Amino acid sequence: MATIMMLIMIGLLLLGFPMMVPLIAGAIYGFVMMFDGLGQMGTFIQQMMGGIRPASLIAVPMFILAADIMTRGQSADRLINMVMAFIGHVKGGLAISTATSCTLFGAVSGSTQATVVAVGSPLRPKMLKAGYSDPFTLALIINASDIAFLIPPSIGMIIYGVISETSIAELFIAGIGPGILILFMFSIYCLIYAYKNDVPTEERASWGQRAVAVRDAIWPLFFPVIIVGGIYGGIFSPTEAAAVCVLYAFLLEFVVFRSLKLADVYKIAKSTGLITAVVFILVAVGNGFSWIISFAQIPQAILSAVGVNEAGPVGVLIAICIAFFIACMFVDPIVVILVLTPIFAPAIQATGLDPVLVGVLITLQVAIGSATPPFGCDIFTAIAIFKRPYLEVIRGTPPFIIMLVAAAGLIIAFPDIALFLRDVAFRD
Amino acid sequence: ANWRYAHEEYEGDVQDVYAYKFKEYIEENSDHTLQVFRFGELGESDDIMEQTQAGILNFVNQSPGFTGALIPEAQIFFIPYLMPTDMETVVEFFRTSEAINENFPKLYADKGLELLKMYPEGEMVVTVDEPVTKPADFNNKKIRVMTNPLLSETYSAFGATPTPLPWGEVYGALQTNMIQGQENPIFWIESGGLYEVSPNLVFTKHGWFTTAMMANKSFYDGLSDEDKKLVQDAADFAFEEIIEHIDGLADESLAKIQEKSDDVTVTRLSDEQIEAFKERAPQVEEKFIEMTGDTGKELLNQFKEDLKEVQSE
Amino acid sequence: MSENSPDIEDDTGSYESGLPGFLGTIDTWIAKVEAVMLALGVILMAVNTCVNVVARYVFGEGLFFSGEINRILIILITFAGIGYAARHGRHIRMSAVYDALPTKARKVLMIFIALFTSAVMFFLCYYAYQYIETLYGRGRILPALGIEIWMIYIWAPIGFAITGIQYLLTAIKNLTSKDVYLSTGVKDGYSDTESEVL
Ligand code: NA
Ligand code: NA
Repeated sequence: MATIMMLIMIGLLLLGFPMMVPLIAGAIYGFVMMFDGLGQMGTFIQQMMGGIRPASLIAVPMFILAADIMTRGQSADRLINMVMAFIGHVKGGLAISTATSCTLFGAVSGSTQATVVAVGSPLRPKMLKAGYSDPFTLALIINASDIAFLIPPSIGMIIYGVISETSIAELFIAGIGPGILILFMFSIYCLIYAYKNDVPTEERASWGQRAVAVRDAIWPLFFPVIIVGGIYGGIFSPTEAAAVCVLYAFLLEFVVFRSLKLADVYKIAKSTGLITAVVFILVAVGNGFSWIISFAQIPQAILSAVGVNEAGPVGVLIAICIAFFIACMFVDPIVVILVLTPIFAPAIQATGLDPVLVGVLITLQVAIGSATPPFGCDIFTAIAIFKRPYLEVIRGTPPFIIMLVAAAGLIIAFPDIALFLRDVAFRD
Repeated sequence: ANWRYAHEEYEGDVQDVYAYKFKEYIEENSDHTLQVFRFGELGESDDIMEQTQAGILNFVNQSPGFTGALIPEAQIFFIPYLMPTDMETVVEFFRTSEAINENFPKLYADKGLELLKMYPEGEMVVTVDEPVTKPADFNNKKIRVMTNPLLSETYSAFGATPTPLPWGEVYGALQTNMIQGQENPIFWIESGGLYEVSPNLVFTKHGWFTTAMMANKSFYDGLSDEDKKLVQDAADFAFEEIIEHIDGLADESLAKIQEKSDDVTVTRLSDEQIEAFKERAPQVEEKFIEMTGDTGKELLNQFKEDLKEVQSE
Repeated sequence: MSENSPDIEDDTGSYESGLPGFLGTIDTWIAKVEAVMLALGVILMAVNTCVNVVARYVFGEGLFFSGEINRILIILITFAGIGYAARHGRHIRMSAVYDALPTKARKVLMIFIALFTSAVMFFLCYYAYQYIETLYGRGRILPALGIEIWMIYIWAPIGFAITGIQYLLTAIKNLTSKDVYLSTGVKDGYSDTESEVL
């Protein structure tokens, strides 16, 4: 039964069906096999509705909305200008600024695609003008935006937290260390690239200019302060923080910067609602799908067939990393998290792995996988946004993928990269 | 045959122990097999209840607090000081109570469920940011409750501000002082690490966390007499085992907590102090009757009668 | 986008129904209602959550029903949105293999995809309706608001039905016109309308 379910899913997926259809079709097949007909399909509907029940899911539209308001307003640009004023002039400074801006913007945005648009749109033309090759530039933007997936807030972590019942606040804080590690690795590569290709540097900004840039960026810089302060001050929960972000972004762009009109709210909210619905319908059918595989006890069967139970914690971690990485080369990250997390849940529990560490690694793996050829969805986002051919978009990615995989290896070897901050904050 | 059984707790928790004792008896005394599904594997509490009603699952364990939307009368367990306060009398109460052993099975049968056993999981303990000995100490304190109007009424009656919050956010909210307290059986306070962020344990003796194990009624009615007896015997066997299990559990959990943390304080209310809280109970009883009408009133009276009976012994 | 253009780009701004005459008017009208539900749903969610935070922090007592309102809004957004996404060809799909095919094959495949997806949507619509009937009989309620749960689930069958109709229309559009269409209003290809902004 499991094999045929998988074949149905992969077949429909490759044919180009909307992603909800392969999941629904696979699940229907499972129900028919399990219950000799369609008599229990009501439970599939029940589980779909159950999938979109968790209160913490509201963080998804709220973080998208806040990021969208800031991208379409001035906050994102002001943050980028500030980063440029400080590191634009060093060797490879423009590239390092791009990576840093992705990280910084990641602190207010929950999605990699939003980051690609917000940082890539203004900085790619500048990098090309300065003499960076387009494949390098595109690869840098795509992969640096992965950092936004790790730096809180992160849609991937919210979805993982919801289905694995892991504290989203802890996941968020555990993503910071790995995010900074990757930024550091990318920056070194940018430096090497700049020396090798002798890319000219930008003019050094004066301290006066820097002061202006900081002053301009001071309001958006308060974002992380408000989120962290609000959560630790007991004013709101991590979920509610997302809505407070929206309020703050709204106040900034409409009252302080006056960069958007009130009528724009409607359009931005509609666009957010559309993206949310497309994600949530997958969350819903994903939950129905995982119910039937759980009912048929398929995860236990697969895990024991693969021998994961004897692999020990590190073995399980590596198996998880490989599975998520490969799956994301073909399928949207959210679908992968929805389908694979429940399958590995018994092994994670049995080996006593820290679910927060697993969550951070999974988030990193789906981000890498989705930037990896042949079918990583970030590649297609970049093709759509920057209108460049497939081969040009993927040509520069290998060094970045290697660095990201190395980062994953480092986190497995030294879990404290992720867990140190979490322990300081939550386990003192 | 292969039977399926789902409950609402994690591995090693009281409901899980009960389920596995039930399984052990069934499998040792017949050719049937039993598959146990834990929390989240097949959805939340409401989901597994519906799946049992639909006949996908044969057995389900759902706490009456969650059953409130289906059987409002089941919320009676939220009324404070309706149950005995010491373990021995509580066990006796569950064994002999007419309300539990006769009234409730009828209510469940109306919903297509065969109630097999109601059993206590543990005494409710309140954890607060500072020790509480009288209702006035609860003033301006936000106490987390499940989203349930009657439970909220209880904490309003005690003088606190009931604050509904999903379970997943309780630890964080206590840590950041968004809320100042919560209630749970002690083994959950231990396993969830709640004492780390809410170290003052108050034994108010206002209630016991009670749960119920049942079967799909048409499945049960369709069993042979022999199998019916097997199921009943297995439920009884698991009940005896669970009573033994929870007997030491509370003390064990408390010892573990005290070993791990020096900040923890334990306040056991004296009979006199309990009276002050008990005086507030009628307000909650009224709300219960308002919500459940005549059947609720009848049940409440039966509860009180049963209580008198066990206490007079 | 980042140019600070005074006009916000809105790639789902206009919608022309694939249906003729009166039916087309109804369809366009439904599209407008969906758009309003999406936008209002998101805005209300932000307002509801923020008001709850303020109420709890300033007045010491949060809104008892805030969580349940968000639950209702999530359902509303999801099921208003799946139809809307189908209209604008915005459902997530893995199109790499499909894109590599010649136009003729893409057209045939798209007709198959649209018909099959439409069938799946009507299938779910039927079972969602049945499930709601079961819930109606059981009388489960939202504890804080006291609303019966079947009422807030009613958007599910409606959303599936509208989505099913949209995919059916897409199949018809592909059968009756020369180009390949992702939805009744969106042509296949790397045009601006298809690009997933954000
Ligand atoms: Na982020
Ligand atoms: Na990515």
